[in-house]
Amino acid sequence: MIRTCRSSTTLVIFAAVLSGIEMPAAAQSPDFQQQILPLLYNRCFSCHSEKAGKPKGGLRLDSAEAIRDSGVVVAGKPEESELLTRTALALTDKRHMPPLKGGSQPLNDTERDLLRRWIADGAKTGAWKSFAHREPAVAFEAAPLKRTDVPQLTRRVDELVEAYHRAKGSRLNAPVGDEAFVRRVYLDVAGRIPTLAESTQFLGSKASDKRAKLIDTLLQSEAYVSHTFNWKADLLRLISRGIPGQPAWMYEDWVKESIRSGMDYDKFVRNLITAKGYLWENGAVGFYLRDLGMPLDHMSNLSRVFLGTRIECAQCHDHPYEPVTQRDFYQLTAYTYGVSNLYSSAGYSTDNVKQWNKLLVLMKDANADEGLRQSVSGTIAPLKRLTRDTDHLLKYPETYANDVKARGTPVECRTPFGDEAPASADNRREAFADWLTSPRNPRFAKNISNRLWKRVMGMGLIEPVDSLSPVNRPEHPELLEFLTESFARLGFDERAYLAVLLNSRVYQSESVRTPPEPGLPFTFQGPLLRRLSAEQLWDSLLTLLVEDLDARKPLQGDQDSVIRERLVRLTNMTADELLDLSKKMAEFRVIQRKHSIEVEVLKVALKQAKEKGDADAVRKIGQKQAKANAGFEQMKKAYDTSLPTSKKETDPRWTKVSPLWVRASEIRTPIALGHFLRQFGQSDRREIDAFNKSPNLTHSLALMNGELTRSALEEKSYVRSRLIPLNDKNERLQGAFLSILARRPTADEAARCQKLLQSSPTPEQDLLWALLNSPEFLFIP
Amino acid sequence: MNPLRDEISRRCFLQRYSKTFLGVSVLGLATSPRAAENPAPRARSVIYIYLRGGLSHIDTFDPKPGRPEMGGVRAIPTRADGVQISEWLPLFANQMRHVALVRSMTSTQGVHDRGNYLAHTSYFMTPTISHPAHGAWALRRLGSINPLLPGNVLINGSSQHPGSGYMPAHLAPLPIPDPAAGLQNSALPERVTEADFVRRTQLAQALGDDFLARTPHPSAAAYRKVHEEAVSLMRSRDLGAFDISQESRRTQEQYGSHTFGKGCLLARRLVEHGVRFIEVEEGQNWDTHNDHLVAMRRMTPSLDQTLSALIGDLHDCGLLASTLVVLATEFGRSPQISETTEGRGHHPSAFTWWLAGGGIKGGVVHGKSDEAGHNVAENSVTMPDFNATIARALGIDLDHIERSPSGRPFTVANSGRPLESLFA
Repeated sequence: MIRTCRSSTTLVIFAAVLSGIEMPAAAQSPDFQQQILPLLYNRCFSCHSEKAGKPKGGLRLDSAEAIRDSGVVVAGKPEESELLTRTALALTDKRHMPPLKGGSQPLNDTERDLLRRWIADGAKTGAWKSFAHREPAVAFEAAPLKRTDVPQLTRRVDELVEAYHRAKGSRLNAPVGDEAFVRRVYLDVAGRIPTLAESTQFLGSKASDKRAKLIDTLLQSEAYVSHTFNWKADLLRLISRGIPGQPAWMYEDWVKESIRSGMDYDKFVRNLITAKGYLWENGAVGFYLRDLGMPLDHMSNLSRVFLGTRIECAQCHDHPYEPVTQRDFYQLTAYTYGVSNLYSSAGYSTDNVKQWNKLLVLMKDANADEGLRQSVSGTIAPLKRLTRDTDHLLKYPETYANDVKARGTPVECRTPFGDEAPASADNRREAFADWLTSPRNPRFAKNISNRLWKRVMGMGLIEPVDSLSPVNRPEHPELLEFLTESFARLGFDERAYLAVLLNSRVYQSESVRTPPEPGLPFTFQGPLLRRLSAEQLWDSLLTLLVEDLDARKPLQGDQDSVIRERLVRLTNMTADELLDLSKKMAEFRVIQRKHSIEVEVLKVALKQAKEKGDADAVRKIGQKQAKANAGFEQMKKAYDTSLPTSKKETDPRWTKVSPLWVRASEIRTPIALGHFLRQFGQSDRREIDAFNKSPNLTHSLALMNGELTRSALEEKSYVRSRLIPLNDKNERLQGAFLSILARRPTADEAARCQKLLQSSPTPEQDLLWALLNSPEFLFIP
Repeated sequence: MNPLRDEISRRCFLQRYSKTFLGVSVLGLATSPRAAENPAPRARSVIYIYLRGGLSHIDTFDPKPGRPEMGGVRAIPTRADGVQISEWLPLFANQMRHVALVRSMTSTQGVHDRGNYLAHTSYFMTPTISHPAHGAWALRRLGSINPLLPGNVLINGSSQHPGSGYMPAHLAPLPIPDPAAGLQNSALPERVTEADFVRRTQLAQALGDDFLARTPHPSAAAYRKVHEEAVSLMRSRDLGAFDISQESRRTQEQYGSHTFGKGCLLARRLVEHGVRFIEVEEGQNWDTHNDHLVAMRRMTPSLDQTLSALIGDLHDCGLLASTLVVLATEFGRSPQISETTEGRGHHPSAFTWWLAGGGIKGGVVHGKSDEAGHNVAENSVTMPDFNATIARALGIDLDHIERSPSGRPFTVANSGRPLESLFA
């Protein structure tokens, strides 16, 4: 849904503000700071504030005094106030405000009415004096917290939510039952449904703290790593084959390991920002390699993901509906611009190969021919791609409109809000990382607190999650402030923070089963009902098919370690060793070409034989091909270029199931289009969070007739094997419900099932099929 | 009796039949929200053929007779006066009177995924936005012709296809990974009888009712609805559009038994059934860095067979006039053959794409590359220009602005201008 829901971002922001907690009755005068200021900020400040180099028409609207003196607001007389009348002109009228050409949205009737009432009531600005364009840093001196403080923090969250309901006259939904809770918490933390054994164990436990215990267990599990990886992969746009000529999956491995080892969030971000070295030495450099040669886009995404702030408009021109200038954008980008792989070809160069100068001499001495030179070039190719700092400076573009004289001159590093972070070319990234990840940064901790809230509740406290700004106020400011501060005080420990949310009463309430009206805020009654993501669905279906699913890793793991070892070895070779290797590889390439020509000829012959229908020839050519390939594999071993191939599954738990049945997080991306994960809307990872949950017909076809459903129904499937030990028809019926929906059937359902299955030749298959094809399976309760 | 003629008349009859009784063309007009935005759209449907890897231009559609770069490959005359193509495409040469070659294609993108992206979207690849491909645009602007079938289909497509980009997901192409298997999962699995299916569906409905009753969520209701639609599609005659086994053996042989042949045959069936946009990816790897000539000798015969079968068949059936066929690839290949690898490298500065049918003049050549095929010599055409030509043929307004969810404005062919001279 993400793609469709984001439409008209600004309108959503406004609606969110308009419907804020202190929404006054229609007759009341609008509150300036709550209701009018956001309008001015998003529709006027780009041109009419101190931020615009030269405010258009000399008009400024960013201080009480300026508004009073502007002449466009005539207090008490809306019809004479240009601020209002110009917004009501025909859209084609050149004098219409805001100017639509720049991408701004016209005001709607509600917004105009708000302005009218505000002016009619005297255009009062109250205590407000002027707008602080530079959002201040937040004070942070609170004492650190530990995991043992989680219960106390949860209690405080409960109190704040209760206070909200008291003020609004609303209340929480009923507490969620154990059955819905166990399915929900498994999906939200482990990324899959519980197995029959897992749900049975939880539901059977009488311990009073069993929910808190389960939350802790799941947060420490490998399943959590897998599920969290998917979430981060969508944010960071991780593609296992996404970096030309480099093993991009090493970046993914690094992210997985950072989750597994519990790297604190601020360190995680710092490690990405300051990453340097080869990909196999430090997987975090993938952060820069992912956006090879695109420093501006890299900063747009960085800002969106880590600061909840969208600034990509300002890449090319001043932002049309926020006072963010192109200068702001360039000043921020200046911090990371010097990274070799971002700005230019310096990231791929023989300058990055420490053995290069010596190699040159050796090649000259050896009178190396063209073949050997090419082989050397091939051998050292991976070593040329190095992520490091350079002294390269970002310059203002030749199209820079705000200050013609600045065109082509270097851009100084400057932060757009919070503390200043002066930096020079040699410490740019450190200074940036310090500023970015500091608890004093007004948006860093707030962004992640809000995003993690959304991850388990289904909706952010601020929506859209990437629209943090001084005027976009959350529905419950005290709560977001408390959560943000707590997360920072917990040392940015993601598991501890999630534990606070998952133990809260609002999480453990019945879900909100209707979608929120567009633009309306989260109502704190319970988490939203959500469709399972593509990954949750795939992993849930595999839970029915693969024993100990979370422990299963793909067989290519062996290949990966060989590739890693070879690259490490290559990095540490002397120039002489590199030359020897290149000679050997030149020999090998000759053999390889001979082989490929032989293969080509056989392919042609095979095609002809097939066309003629000559079965005998087809068989003979097949044998020749096998022989040629086997001989070549031997040769590859001799030249140390072979990889462990087609290893067979030996673990007795998994020998009978497809080798491709591993958790979604373990599958290399991008995945083929017809794959289940792509059908159900897995992100192609081109853009941030580009997943999609809208229903389509292929979903039903896959669940009715697809491979996974078929396999689950087979007699020897894992899910059915777990039903065998159960005593009678009734227990097996319960078992099937628990296996798929993590709940027992109601008496009514049980009766209906028994009746419909009575005369069926395949009652168990029917039941499993029906449960998988009931819409309930697709939703987090 | 000529069996081929008989086959054609049967199919042409079906075509007329479908117009009359299934209401295909009538519905097409009725459901198009903006039937004619531009002067006289001629193409109703598009078959967009994509050759993955970067097809060498001088060995195929832009030969340089007698030049050393040709590596001994000869040029042959075609049915179009004065137009020669490679000797490796003798069947296609017979169809040249329907085809407009654009030999002056040029691009700056020499890396596969970036060239592929520009070809499909008219925009450079950037990490902050993802742009829709042609099919999504066509569906967005023109709607479906046959509302019972998906309007945008991708046969044998690669995982990196841009799909619907920033546009809503329902505009993304329906992928058909295996054209012989038709629509994925649309047939009952082995050993599952119709009776089993009916029984199970009933039970699923019964179990779902409670959930839906206490879940007034549009997405939940939508899943009930798509489930019902899927069941009716499984039983509908329209599903037959995806079944190439309904074609005569002779027709199947003409197209070829390889994936590309089957894909193009499926594409033709989908055009008949009113599908707006069909992309077929050629399954072979045209990225001939090594032993180019050997590889090309192996790969071109099946390409030649299918391309000529498709154009010939569409023409015989009277569908070519309303169907635009396009061939594209991410770049050309360097005219110089490498001494060490005997391969050709990536070459974006000059290459050939072509169009046929859908109101395009046939038997013509637009633009020219230089004598070795290195650079464009005359009338250079960018990928956005070419895509503007496709849009113009379909009648899509080139200046219409679509906004991404974040409000950024985009047009169907970026700033490309159509090749007006190619329209008949």
